Parts: sequence; C-alpha cells; structure tokens
Amino acid sequence: MGFLSSLSHGDSAADLIHVGTGEFAVAEHPTVLMTPALGSCIGVALWDAFRHRGGLAHVMLPLPSDVTQDGSQDRFASVAIPRMVEELNGGTAVRRLVAKIAGGAAMFKSDSSLSNVGERNLEEVRHQLSLLRIPILAEDTGGSHARTVELHLDTGVLVVRSYMYGIREL
Amino acid sequence: MKPENMSALQIDALRELGSIGAGHAATALSQLLDHPVEISVPEVRFVPVSDVPMLFGGPETLVGAVYARLLGDVSGGMLFIAPRTAMLALVDLLRSRVPGTTKSMNAEEEALATHTGSILISAYLSAIARMADLSLLPSPPAFAFDMMGAILEVATVDIGMKADTAILILTSFIDERAVVDAALFYMPDPDSLDVILGRLGIV
Repeated sequence: MGFLSSLSHGDSAADLIHVGTGEFAVAEHPTVLMTPALGSCIGVALWDAFRHRGGLAHVMLPLPSDVTQDGSQDRFASVAIPRMVEELNGGTAVRRLVAKIAGGAAMFKSDSSLSNVGERNLEEVRHQLSLLRIPILAEDTGGSHARTVELHLDTGVLVVRSYMYGIREL
Repeated sequence: MKPENMSALQIDALRELGSIGAGHAATALSQLLDHPVEISVPEVRFVPVSDVPMLFGGPETLVGAVYARLLGDVSGGMLFIAPRTAMLALVDLLRSRVPGTTKSMNAEEEALATHTGSILISAYLSAIARMADLSLLPSPPAFAFDMMGAILEVATVDIGMKADTAILILTSFIDERAVVDAALFYMPDPDSLDVILGRLGIV
C-alpha cells in the first residue's frame, strides 16, 4: 500500500479483512473491513450496532444487464447488497442494519461516458438500500477523487482516506 | 486467445508492434516539443489485469494516467500510466527542465501529459492498424491523477470488464539528461486479440 496506509488507525494486519473489487465480506468486531482505491465503485458498509457485526461491499456496476454475465455477480449493487443483508440477518426479520456509503467518483476528466458510471452506481445503491429499508446514515460520494474505506465494527465508524482530503470519519 | 497459450512468435510480434509504435511516438513528440526525445520499449509482456496495481506498489499508489477506449474493428482500452515521481520527471523531460524541477501537476502540465499519452496510444494503435490492416482509433484521451486501483477500475468498467489480461508495454522516455520509465497497457478483449493475431498471420 502507499503512504496512506501509514495514516491508518493502527489495526494489526491479522484483524483486517481486505475486500477485493467486486466482492463483499461480513465480519464481527474486532475485525476491521477494508477496501482500497474506490473510483467509480462504491463501498457499501452495513452495521449492526447490537451485535457489533457488519459487512462491506465493493460494488462496480449497478445491474447485471450492463455487461456480460461472466464472472462474479457480487460486482453488481443489485446482487451484492441483498446477499450481504441476507448473510448479516441470516434469514431473520431483524431490522437493525444501518448503512454508510463512499465512492462513486468520476475519476477521469473530460470524458462524459466514463463519468456517469459512478452516478449510476450511486443511484442503484440508494435504490437497493431503500428497498431493504436500510437507512443511509452518512455518505462521502461523488467528486473526482479515489477513496479507501475502513469499517470499524465496534463503533460503526467508516474511515474514508483520500489523497484529496486525507482522513474523514463517517 | 489466453496469454498462457501465446507462442514466443506471437509475443515477439506484439513486441515488434510496441517498438514500431514507440518509434513513431518519439518522432511525433520530438516534432511537437522541438527537441529530440527518444522512446524505447525495453519489455513487452502479458499480465493479468488484477495484478496490474501490484506492479506499481499496490492499489493506493499515486499515479498519473491517460485512458482511451478503442474504437473501430476491435474493442478494448489503452491506459498510459506513470507513478507520481515518474510523471513529474516526464514533465521535466518534455519541458527540457532540470530533473526535479516539477513538483506538482498544474492544468498545463496535465494537458502536456495527456497529449504525450495520447500520442503514444495513437502511435501504438496505428502500428497495429497498419500491420493488421484494421481500422483502430482511440477515443479522446482522459486524464486522472490518483490511486492506481481506482483508475484501473474505471478503465476496466469502461471496457465492459471483458479484458482479463493486459499487454504491458514498458516505455522509457530518454533525452540527454534523463530516462523516465512509464507503462502503456493495452487491454484488448480476448476476441480482439485473436482478430489481431489472425490478421498478422501468426495464429
């Protein structure tokens, strides 16, 4: 990792789950969930305050219809978010989950077709969360800069790091 | 065509295209800048797209990048990338400044980097187009200066995530004072690579 990792909150590597592009992971405190370098992708963090449990998804695209059907379906907001909620709630009807989201930037200057993937991702993430009645407590989205996020499961704090703004806590 | 199935002859052919492209790009840049710049291609190899960030020290590494989508007979994308220090050194070289002068990128320097990436991309594409008798054009180039992983991700999404392999064309810019190493990635979709190699007669 680059120098940004030195600005991190000092979690030992053993407690850190690295969520890859187009994947999601679910864990409990003291594990920290992290996903690096979100561009037009969105980091969707879900947190259960009662159980100090949560999940983090790194979604790349809104819906499967956008591209070919090959590869992991968890790249899509419309697939990854319901799956992650299912895994967190385990089929029960509990409604404790809250969401924080970050990403959805337009990384490249001067190309409109490249720019709106982030926006479409944001729309679909908001749509999916509203279908599941999960409130979005905070977000750091849009703009033109990359973000790395870290979800701390004891506090539900989503740490957002970027070259543009340094560290923000949601 | 999967890269692990590529023959030495096919890789040689792609390397040759890289050298021809570099030669044309060097001529164009030297004319544009009014001082001689040489470009060499020390290495051409295949890398899985998912490994690309690690070549630069990880997904959070700060890089400058120029991206263009391929239009015409084959699809894919071209990404010109230099880590921050190399990008600043490249600006020094292009501007004929003492190495170490440029400390950050302003709008004019971003434009210069974008033009340079664009020339390199166009020269490589025109080498392929001529040898393989294909119509190949780059979309207008777009510039970004941020985390490697995020830039690659946007390019991958733009191509439609069909490219799982990138052709890495290491590119060195050389003038009398400095050598700056950068990378040009050609990310063809797998069918396009078959088309190109087929047209070159080396299937």
